[in-house]
Amino acid sequence: MDTKKVDLSLLEGVLGEYAEVKGSLITILQHTQDIYGYLPREAIELISERTGIAASEIMGVGTFYTQFRFEPVGKYLIMLCQGTACHVNSSELILQTIKDELGIEDGQTTEDGLFSLKCVACLGCCSLSPVMMINEDTYGSLTPDKTKKILRELREAAK
Amino acid sequence: MINLTINGKAVQAPEGSTILEAAKAAGIYIPTLCYDEAVEVYGACGLCVVEAQGIPKLLRSCSAKVSEGMVVNTESERVVRSRKVAMELLMSAHDGDCVAPCQLNCPARTDCQGYVGLIANGEFDAALKLIKNKIPLPASIGRVCPHPCEKACRRKNVEEPINIAQLKAFAADMDLKSDSYVPETAPASGKKVAVIGGGPAGLTAAYYLAVMGHSVTVYDMMEKMGGMLRYGIPQYRLPKEVLDKEIAIIEKTGVKLVNNVKLGVDFTIKSLKEENDAVIVAVGAWKSSSMRTKGEELDGVYGGIDFLRGVIKGNAPEIGEKVAICGGGNTAMDACRTAVRLGAKEVYVVYRRTRAEMPADELEIREAEEEGVIYKFLTNPLSFNGENGKVKSITLQLMELGEPDASGRRRPVPIEGKTEEIDVDSVILAIGQKLVTDDVKELSLNERGNIEADPDFFTTSIDGVFAIGDATNRGASIAIEAIGEADRCVKVVDAYLKGIDVETRVPYISRRDESTIDYSDREKKARLTPEVLPADIRNKNFDEVSLGFTEEAAKEEANRCLECGCREYYKCKLLKVAQRYDIDPARFKGEMPQKYTRDENAFIERNTSKCILCGLCVRSCREVMDIHAIGLMGRGFKTDVSPAFALPLNETKCNNCGLCVQLCPTGSLTEKFNLPKQVPLNEEYTEEFVEIDGKKSSVLVSRYNGKVLRVIPNDAISRNSGLTREELESKLS
Amino acid sequence: MRIVIGQGSCGIAAGAEKVKKALLNTGVSADSISITGCIGMCWLEPIVDIYDDENKLTRLVKVGEGDAEKIARFVETGDKALVESLVVSDEDSEFLSKQTRIALRNCGIINPEKLEAYTAAGGYEALKKALSITPEEVIEIIKTSGLAGRGGAGFPTWFKWNAARQSAGEEKYLICNADEGDPGAFMDRAVIESDPHNLIEGMLIGAYAIGAKHAVVYVRAEYPLAIKRLRNAIAQAKEAGIIGENIFGSDFSCDFMIKAGAGAFVCGEETALIESLEGHRGMPRLKPPFPAQSGFWRKPSNINNVETFANVAWIINNGGEAFAAMGTEGSKGTKVFAVTGKVKRSGLVEIPMGKTLRDVIFDIGGGMKTDKDFKAVQMGGPSGGCIPKELIDTVIDYKALGATGAIMGSGGMVVMDESTCMVGMAKFFLDFTAKESCGKCIHCRIGTKRMLEMLERITKGEGKEGDIELLEELCYSIKDGALCGLGQTAPNPVLTTIKYFRDEYEAHIKDKKCPAGECSDLIEYKIIADKCKGCTLCARNCPVNAISGTVKNPHVINTEKCIKCGKCFQSCRFGAIVKE
Repeated sequence: MDTKKVDLSLLEGVLGEYAEVKGSLITILQHTQDIYGYLPREAIELISERTGIAASEIMGVGTFYTQFRFEPVGKYLIMLCQGTACHVNSSELILQTIKDELGIEDGQTTEDGLFSLKCVACLGCCSLSPVMMINEDTYGSLTPDKTKKILRELREAAK
Repeated sequence: MINLTINGKAVQAPEGSTILEAAKAAGIYIPTLCYDEAVEVYGACGLCVVEAQGIPKLLRSCSAKVSEGMVVNTESERVVRSRKVAMELLMSAHDGDCVAPCQLNCPARTDCQGYVGLIANGEFDAALKLIKNKIPLPASIGRVCPHPCEKACRRKNVEEPINIAQLKAFAADMDLKSDSYVPETAPASGKKVAVIGGGPAGLTAAYYLAVMGHSVTVYDMMEKMGGMLRYGIPQYRLPKEVLDKEIAIIEKTGVKLVNNVKLGVDFTIKSLKEENDAVIVAVGAWKSSSMRTKGEELDGVYGGIDFLRGVIKGNAPEIGEKVAICGGGNTAMDACRTAVRLGAKEVYVVYRRTRAEMPADELEIREAEEEGVIYKFLTNPLSFNGENGKVKSITLQLMELGEPDASGRRRPVPIEGKTEEIDVDSVILAIGQKLVTDDVKELSLNERGNIEADPDFFTTSIDGVFAIGDATNRGASIAIEAIGEADRCVKVVDAYLKGIDVETRVPYISRRDESTIDYSDREKKARLTPEVLPADIRNKNFDEVSLGFTEEAAKEEANRCLECGCREYYKCKLLKVAQRYDIDPARFKGEMPQKYTRDENAFIERNTSKCILCGLCVRSCREVMDIHAIGLMGRGFKTDVSPAFALPLNETKCNNCGLCVQLCPTGSLTEKFNLPKQVPLNEEYTEEFVEIDGKKSSVLVSRYNGKVLRVIPNDAISRNSGLTREELESKLS
Repeated sequence: MRIVIGQGSCGIAAGAEKVKKALLNTGVSADSISITGCIGMCWLEPIVDIYDDENKLTRLVKVGEGDAEKIARFVETGDKALVESLVVSDEDSEFLSKQTRIALRNCGIINPEKLEAYTAAGGYEALKKALSITPEEVIEIIKTSGLAGRGGAGFPTWFKWNAARQSAGEEKYLICNADEGDPGAFMDRAVIESDPHNLIEGMLIGAYAIGAKHAVVYVRAEYPLAIKRLRNAIAQAKEAGIIGENIFGSDFSCDFMIKAGAGAFVCGEETALIESLEGHRGMPRLKPPFPAQSGFWRKPSNINNVETFANVAWIINNGGEAFAAMGTEGSKGTKVFAVTGKVKRSGLVEIPMGKTLRDVIFDIGGGMKTDKDFKAVQMGGPSGGCIPKELIDTVIDYKALGATGAIMGSGGMVVMDESTCMVGMAKFFLDFTAKESCGKCIHCRIGTKRMLEMLERITKGEGKEGDIELLEELCYSIKDGALCGLGQTAPNPVLTTIKYFRDEYEAHIKDKKCPAGECSDLIEYKIIADKCKGCTLCARNCPVNAISGTVKNPHVINTEKCIKCGKCFQSCRFGAIVKE
């Protein structure tokens, strides 16, 4: 994985705004993840120092919510919806297609660092089920072929 | 004050108090595993639920407040059902052994892990005392027991089991060498008990009844006490001097021993019952079983135990130079090795299966072979052929192994038309032993011809007469089985004498799934066995073959113990609640949430696989101590208690205050003992006071056999003192 | 002419943004294009509405980038023939015309990013009206309306408001639960994305009623567009003096805050939501004390769901009686449902209480998408249950739905046909609750996991006699023992499927068969030789080379090798492959 040193100065803005505001831990962690793509240990230690919240508490919160990650993710984060409508409309096939196409399991990142796969709770686009989000973009009414095409186009675009 | 009713009892409680507080003040027990006054109410375990009239939902009594006129039931059917399922679920995810498998597999439930651990620590007298809680003849049993404990020992999955039996003999021999331990006896109860039969069962019953304060007399038909231990086991395995010493200790507890009196001749069961408050029949099985083979009646064909008894009594039968022993058990081994020592030149063991199926102990099989015994595997006597009424040869049917039978062993089947004949001067039939039924005709017998005794209560067809050991139910078995029965029977008899009820239900305990245990991190270390006499010397005399463990070897061997049983067994709150309800967690068997991981610092040991997520450790570390060394990580089924980033405790701010350990309701967090080898022991806890910086502070001190095992800070002063356990201990007066 | 493009999440996902770009590329002026939120006809997205100068609407559906030129020319010329193929059918239009929209009244009509659009539609008049009467009078109007919590529990809103109002203390909080976590429900997202000011107005009225100076919205993180539009709306309202000190010149002051959740369904439970708002792990607190006494920062707090607040302004404007005039004896007003699954027209449906499930699924939803029969409808998500076709005429009413074993829930309505395995459905929900269990109480943490394991065994054909009874026992025990609503209702999907589809469980356990043909361990794929044309497509698609055969000759599946992935089944164009 990425062993680059984490630039903690990037956190100053967030900490300046929220470190003193009671109850802001989740907000701080969300901003931190926006900055680094995940929650680096060094960042958590700094947050702990500045907010006075123990690292064990921060990790407790971080590991409770599915949004937070502790490892860097790929360039494209695929969030595959696990909602009921998607289930009824065979999202299982889409999951299998992504796994086959990328050779990764849920929660893993491809070796080239391009794709990460995460199964997520209902995205609320049930009428378009099955649905996935890749970064900010939503893709609906997926079929195995359509899914393959989307992934291949993204891979091509990244070259 | 608020007036309410709890379980039909009128109770008063201050306004604002919870039902739990009100019940506690009124002396009504409500189980809970996540509540403690030191921290905020949490409501996780759900065991404290109660039913209140007019309220459809069950209430968590730790948070529900009392109200005027409330009618509460803390043990209603619905409440009990809810707690039962909660405990079943909880235990289905609690991956721990309350008690080590060695102890569970011992028919007498001897605390093997306990005494092995004490031996490892050099606490030999404490080890002996622990053994004597279950076995009054440990030096003898240690020598002769086929040790089911070792079969269950998990060390075998690393390389070989712990040499538990020899360690027991070692601890007992140490005791016999000096002032032997004689337990204190309870004040005389005024009750009289007669025991018929002075074998392991009868002597064990007598010993424990005497310790309980009852007046006991043992009646035995032979010249000396000991039963089969004396008359069925050769001298080279169990020197009779050792047995004599152990019987002498039993006598010191006040047991009266009467020899040379025979049931049916000198007294009857009924006559003894008239003179005593209770009678225990432990007459054993003294008749050799027949093979129903042609020629068994010939001269020179002997029963195995008859042969051994003759040798021990000094009137060995004539066996000649060529001897065949039929059978593959330990009696067969005793017979063949005795025959060797009597000077026989060719000693055969005729057994219809192979070496792998032999029930005898592997060591015995090997030592007999070293002494020159010849095994005739896969053969079965077809007939004993005689000349002038004396046995001359055996015709053997050759066998092969077929499909497995009910016991799981492959069934021997004859190979059609293939036989072999061997010349013999004598034959010893070591294939089993039976009760002499005429002796006990006063009692009801079962279809096997054994005394019918209740398997839990040991009662017979006569009130006040109990029966145990080889003479009962399924017939002859090993000595430790008889000792276990005797121990359990004593509890029933004691209750009978006192006119009280006795619980024989085996309480629930948690056991790990053997198949899930990983041993890969264990370093291999060979099993140690005491030195033995060389084969070419020992096969010519009856000296004891085993030379026994040296102190160093015993400690080293004992140190191999994997410490399977839980150190918190004696004070585990989780287990106590589990045992209150008739639970069957196997119904919900499934994945375990946490892998067994151990993390420790100087004083505290963490074992996540036993954690029940009551949160008391995390909450006390946060709310009381403000240290936050540990937190809850993850969520749902896989929630885990851990320091941040899974750091070891040593790298956290943990100051070893010990509060988490104190509040942990189970063995997930334990305080280490002040001993090199950690052993589950029934410690005695006392609150004591020490002076820290001029202030009086409370500590909890645990002792075992007079030795301080742990010192646990018990108030804010001692918790925050930063003193180590040694420093705290040095402050004890 | 005005062009309005539906830009809810669904619309955008379907390509609305691309359509907009394409239209701009054709030279249509940016000024003539505006957006709206979720129109509710999700199966027809992307939707482009074109209003002529008389404000007459031409609705174009399933619009693609390639249609931009046509549309541009239609806008230019007014020649409807150009876009005839895109115009919504009369039949599809009924989807909306048969609804009664109160909570969704502005959705898909106004521009959600403009305050003026909301005020032009009468927005913030209700707040002004509320501020002119006493908080008690506001509560009285809500009481008259019979409005009940739309998050699922159906607790009377006025009662909660009154309790919070009566609670001692200066500092109080009004909280909106927008942590819409039920898989299969998206009403709240649609309201926030399409009409954020309506939510703000409802909340401000609520805050005034209970005496709160702080309003907080807890939105789930998976709704970035909703968060964006709500933030925008809050900023506009602050700017306009609608949020802040002395609102509309009254004594009432209220600030507003958004907190984004971080992915935990249990935070829909009010005490867990409060824990999360405070920055902790979202683990429920013990009740009592209830949030009305001790909530956010241990201050009296009132929590309502988005849809509940979305009704408030309308009720104040139109009176409690008008709202109460709709619905049944025990359930007043309307309810929004997110109708999805195997239904023809999936989208948002708001209807008065008292209509039947049949009205929603068949009359408005148009019935089944494929030729398979309707089997059941799942309501209330992981806390709800499956209602079978025999009960399709059940009236939409808290009590009547509760009597089936399901619940009204927040409004998810997932329609299933004969190809859905009901044991698999129960397993799906248990998998969800087991993953979402916070882990605090034993019953939920371990109980849901053990139920899931049992269901997994059953769907793999490893079920055994007594499993159904054990499941039931565990279900009742969890309902009784779990700490919060998540655990207490987690058994509902299992209990209702056992209740209505026990034979399906038995088929899995006893016959090792899945009647719906969904459980891959219990089915076999076979090729019907007569139907197989020997096109070789299946063989080429098989990942394990389990299919053999030569061109133009019937193929055969080697069941030993087959991993039951179903790829052949999907690829066959002749219906020659069957599941058994």
